Amino acid sequence: MIRCLIIDDEPNARRELEKLLLATGRFEINGQCGNAVEGVKTINKQRPEVIFLDIQMPVIDGFEMLSMIDHEIMPQVVFVTAYDEFAIKAFEEKTLDYLLKPVRAERLAVTVEKLLERLRANNTPEYDTARLTRIPCIKGGNIKLISVAEVEYALTDISGVHVAIAGQSFNTDLTLKALEERTELVRCHRSYLVNLEQIDQIIPGESGVAEIKTLSGQLLPVSRRHLKEVKRLIGI
Amino acid sequence: MLLVFSLLQQMSVFMVIAYLFTKSPAFRPLTAENLQPRQKLILYFVFSAFSILGTYFGLPVSDAIANTRAIGAVLAGLIGGPALGLAVGLTGGLHRFSLGGFTAFACGVSTTTEGLIGGLFHLYLMRQQGVRDVFNPKIAFVATLLAESLQMLIILALARPFAEALALVEVISLPMILANSVGAALFISIMRDRKQMVDEVGATFSAKALKVAEKTLGLLSCGFNAETAGEMVEIIRAETGVGAVAVTDREKHLAFSGAGADHHLPGLAIASEYVRRAIQQHRVVYVDGINEPFNCPHSRSCPLGSALVVPLAVHNEVLGTIILFEPKTKLFLNNNRSLGEGLASLLSEQLLRSRYESQQNMLTKSELKLVQAQVNPHFLFNALNTIIAIIEQDAQRAKELTLHLSNFFRKNLKRSGDLATLEEELDHVNSYLTIERARFEDRLVVETEISPELLSIKLPTFTLQPIIENSIKHGISQIFGTGIVKVRAVQSEGQIRIEVEDNAGTYCEKLQSDGLGMNLVDKRIKNLYGDQYGISVACVPEEKTLITISVPQGERP
Repeated sequence: MIRCLIIDDEPNARRELEKLLLATGRFEINGQCGNAVEGVKTINKQRPEVIFLDIQMPVIDGFEMLSMIDHEIMPQVVFVTAYDEFAIKAFEEKTLDYLLKPVRAERLAVTVEKLLERLRANNTPEYDTARLTRIPCIKGGNIKLISVAEVEYALTDISGVHVAIAGQSFNTDLTLKALEERTELVRCHRSYLVNLEQIDQIIPGESGVAEIKTLSGQLLPVSRRHLKEVKRLIGI
Repeated sequence: MLLVFSLLQQMSVFMVIAYLFTKSPAFRPLTAENLQPRQKLILYFVFSAFSILGTYFGLPVSDAIANTRAIGAVLAGLIGGPALGLAVGLTGGLHRFSLGGFTAFACGVSTTTEGLIGGLFHLYLMRQQGVRDVFNPKIAFVATLLAESLQMLIILALARPFAEALALVEVISLPMILANSVGAALFISIMRDRKQMVDEVGATFSAKALKVAEKTLGLLSCGFNAETAGEMVEIIRAETGVGAVAVTDREKHLAFSGAGADHHLPGLAIASEYVRRAIQQHRVVYVDGINEPFNCPHSRSCPLGSALVVPLAVHNEVLGTIILFEPKTKLFLNNNRSLGEGLASLLSEQLLRSRYESQQNMLTKSELKLVQAQVNPHFLFNALNTIIAIIEQDAQRAKELTLHLSNFFRKNLKRSGDLATLEEELDHVNSYLTIERARFEDRLVVETEISPELLSIKLPTFTLQPIIENSIKHGISQIFGTGIVKVRAVQSEGQIRIEVEDNAGTYCEKLQSDGLGMNLVDKRIKNLYGDQYGISVACVPEEKTLITISVPQGERP
């Protein structure tokens, strides 16, 4: 059974696809998501093998959503769209499959064959995704998009990933790894990413570790492994 | 005393010449507000001639000449400015100098100075009052008085021997100062009267042209055809009083009014070579009936004897002609000739405008069609996909949705007309919204609040749907949470406002570039009701966008 996830903002479209997928007898549906933020969250949690992804979704479209997933857990992607086939062709025709709505069972069978072949090869797909310019965060139940340039630093702790901006902290469903891969934030510690533009000074400490003082006065740890790279990047 | 009389006598000769001058074509440039270099040249020759004549008409007084030379120089300066005054003064002065005598040099210098004084008066008046006061006899009197007094001083200063100069000035000063000043004043007053007359004729002429323009205004916006041409010929004939008026297109007569109407029938092909020439060469053709008799090609007994054919053109394309006729028994008035030409250019402007307007209209209509066509594929796709998705679970609901889809498209097809009631608009929108609600389910909530008495108000068709569609496409479908669209209609301050509000607040800036459908709705309302009506947008980012459609209350256009 192929573990899959359906991400589409139209409930009827999700139900219809679910029915078709189940009818093939090949799929186990891990969940259904109504927008990209939910999608990222569920992918990080469930690690599905395949996602069926609508392109036109509110705020964050299917393409941008792919940039929010770290490449280690990137599932196979099948775009499902009513009319964006040209955009898909421009995006990446070779490694992706796409279905046009309304989806027909015969066409879905072809997709299933392709998927099985790729899953047998057991390669994590690599998509040519764009860099992230904004990070979806959650504050008080609302989703807020934060521009990467404004972010001071990001950290991960037991309660999840947090993004700090102007003295405030927001939770995000993106992993620190995805943020490191897709944004300008730089790793300075196992649990920290820092925005180089926001560094005020680097205070050396004992035995090769150091601390970064940000423009707002916040102190961040710098581990021995990352100190050299951070210094190189800011030109010291 | 005798000298005074003699000078006045020669002045009278002068006045006769001045009168004749104002009657001649050379006078025409003076009626213009601003003088062109060419006109100044003409004035230079005319006034120099006056100045030299003044010298010749003068009376020899003890080896000098008592004269009225100053009038030409001072007036040239007064009318044409310092440069012209100086030029005329110098010419008159040089001429006098060439005649010799002990005051020759002094008179030469003083005449030049007098021209300059006239010029200085001109500059002063221009700065103070403008061109009107240049033709003021009192000012001409004062200017000449001053100039002549100065001349006497110059003679005393420059002419030698001084004793003879003094004796001469004693004899001639008073008569010359008086005669020249009065002469200049009279001359100017003749010119002023004449100028006023020309202005008045011009004013009546303009008034007549404006009246015809006013009456025909809007006529041509209904197109250039036999019907509008028929009204046009009546108006032009009534206003100009010419014997007959005809309007043709490029091939045939469209309308005719006046003497000879029995055989100048509408629909008749153009037979006259004058008309053909006017059309082909795109110029006015005038057959005066004296040098070149007008021969009617349609009938030998035609009473018409002269004609003016003026082409009607848009850009460089001649669309037809207007022909003014006078019967053989009447002369073709010059005024009517220029009136005819003026009218044709005025009507050509109107044609251009009406053509432009109809193009605009066509553009709006085709834009509307484009928007309707553009909307539908996406909407249709989504609707069909929704129906396909629910058809197995809920066949009844799928059937209802299909009926709404059908209703939506039927209304779209029917709505190429102009006006619809709010109720019809809401019906259209309701079908649209039912389908969108099925698509978004609980993500879309629609609240409608319209009092029943407003249901009968009229709107341009296809007004409400594009606005609602915008709210969904650029608003509701762009947020994560539940979208609420509120549709209200309120009546206040003589206006009816239809408000569409969403809780997304996402398309504040997009409107200018992206809202083709909405811009079009705005344009159509403004065209129909005026610029104070139309669409306005208020937006609080991430909170709400409020679109207000305003139309006049109770109007039934």
